[in-house]
Amino acid sequence: MFLINCPYCGERDQSEFTAGGEAHIVRPKQPTELSDDQWAEFLFMRKNIKGVQLERWNHSHGCRKWFNMVRDTSNDRIHAVYKMGQKPPIE
Amino acid sequence: MLNFNNPVIDTKEYSEIRISKTEPILKMNLRGKNRDFITKIGKELSIITPVDPNTSASNEKLNLLWLSPDEWLLYSNHMIDLKDANFLDDKLFNEISKKKLGSVTNVSDHWIMINLNGKKVFELLSAGCPYNFNNFKNSKGAVTQTLFNHIDVIIHNKNVNDLNLFVRRSFSEHLFLWMNDAASRI
Ligand SMILES: [Zn+2]
Repeated sequence: MFLINCPYCGERDQSEFTAGGEAHIVRPKQPTELSDDQWAEFLFMRKNIKGVQLERWNHSHGCRKWFNMVRDTSNDRIHAVYKMGQKPPIE
Repeated sequence: MLNFNNPVIDTKEYSEIRISKTEPILKMNLRGKNRDFITKIGKELSIITPVDPNTSASNEKLNLLWLSPDEWLLYSNHMIDLKDANFLDDKLFNEISKKKLGSVTNVSDHWIMINLNGKKVFELLSAGCPYNFNNFKNSKGAVTQTLFNHIDVIIHNKNVNDLNLFVRRSFSEHLFLWMNDAASRI
C-alpha cells in the first residue's frame, strides 16, 4: 500500500486508483493507412521499463479523473504527478 | 414505472453510534465545466457553488457537494415527496441542460442516504475505509469520495459526529448489514 497525490483531491490511498498503462502514446492520425504491424505496435506494444516510467492513472473511486504520473517501477517511488495534456515535469 | 421502493434499512443504535436511513431525499447530479454553468447553479439554488476540492456549501433546504472539478451532487436537507420535487428538476433542466450549459440528472433513486451519528462514527469508518479522516473530522462541510468495505461511497461531514453517507442502492443493504456488524464490535 502506498499513497498517491491526486492532482484534484490530494493524497489518497492507492486502493482508490486504477493504473492505465503507459502515458503519452499518440494515436496515429490515419489508422487506415497503417500496416497491421504498425497498428499492433500502437495498440499493444508498451515499454514496461524497470525504472522511471511515465504512466496514466485514474482516481476511479474518487473524482474519476485521469492524470499522469512519473513512477519508478522498481521501488514505487512517485517522482511527480501532473494533469492530462501537460508535459512531463522531468526528462 | 420508476421503482421508489427502498431497501430494508432500519434505524440501529449501538454504543455511541446510530445508523439510520433518511429517505426519500432528493438528489441531483450536476455536471458542467464553464464559468457560466457554475454561476448559473449558484443563482438557481441560492448557493455559492463550491469549487475547492473536498468541500460543500449548504442552505436551509439544500446541500451542494464538490465531487470533481466538473461534477457536483445536490441533495435536500429534509425528506421530500419525490413526486413534489419535480419543480426543481424541471427548473434546473430548463436552465442548464436545455441551454447546453451542462447536464442535470436526477439520481434520487441511484443513491441511498444513510446518516451516521455519534462519538464513535469515525471508528466505524476506520474499520473499512482507506481514507485518513484526521482533517476531515474537524472541518464541517468536508466531502470525500472513497471506499468503505470496498464499496464506493460519498461522505458528507454535516456536523460534529454527524455524517451523511451516500451508497449506491444495490450495495446499500449489504453495506448497512456490514456496518451493523462492525458497529456492534466497537
Ligand atoms: Zn481525485
